Amino acid sequence: MTDATELERRYRRLLKCFPARYRREHEQEILSVLMAGAAEGQRRPGLAESADLVMSAFFIWWREVTRQPRWRWERRHRRLIARMRVAIGIWLLVVGVILLSDGYWWGVLMVTPAALHFYLAYRLRHAVQS
Amino acid sequence: MGMRAMQEATFLILTALAGGSQHGYGIITDVEQISDGHVRLRAGTLYTALDRLRDDGLIDVDREEIVDNRLRRYYRLTPPGQKRLAHEAARLQANAVAAMSRLHPAGVMR
Repeated sequence: MTDATELERRYRRLLKCFPARYRREHEQEILSVLMAGAAEGQRRPGLAESADLVMSAFFIWWREVTRQPRWRWERRHRRLIARMRVAIGIWLLVVGVILLSDGYWWGVLMVTPAALHFYLAYRLRHAVQS
Repeated sequence: MGMRAMQEATFLILTALAGGSQHGYGIITDVEQISDGHVRLRAGTLYTALDRLRDDGLIDVDREEIVDNRLRRYYRLTPPGQKRLAHEAARLQANAVAAMSRLHPAGVMR
């Protein structure tokens, strides 16, 4: 295996961190940029470069998750869904508190999904009318 | 979109595209040149920025080419993108002028 194909294989593996939809549109393109920037005889991605790709994948995922709803149904029922998300968030917190008071420390883990639901509800309520 | 101060990388990417459409690696080398070698964008950072700029309607895809079996997608500045860059450049210039005039109040430039 030549150095270039070895490097490309490793880059492709890193690019798997990105969401599928994003990858379909941009994988080839990003790969050409990475390969164009590679040094002669380079066999593996640099540490900083790999970290940058993983961080970027995280941002793209985050944007994908929090992007304002595009589906007609969710837009039409924005208020209802926002309320449902708040209700689910509260429910998760209540369950977390019950678990904690029963001595299960991992009840704390309920905070993250609850916070996500609250955040999404907030985004829905403040989505641009369209 | 709000008028929050723009990040330097974003500003430089828009500046690179202000001279005409460019593909990813072209933007990286151009940004390096514009910034006098101070800013070398990494691929991930570049594409996160491009994704956001496209979402905001400041840039758009211009065309695609295949060179040596590799896909090159060219991006261009949209009219709102030009407007935003002009606004940001004027703001930075005003800031720089203010800083210079306070550092050299008597107009003594070194």
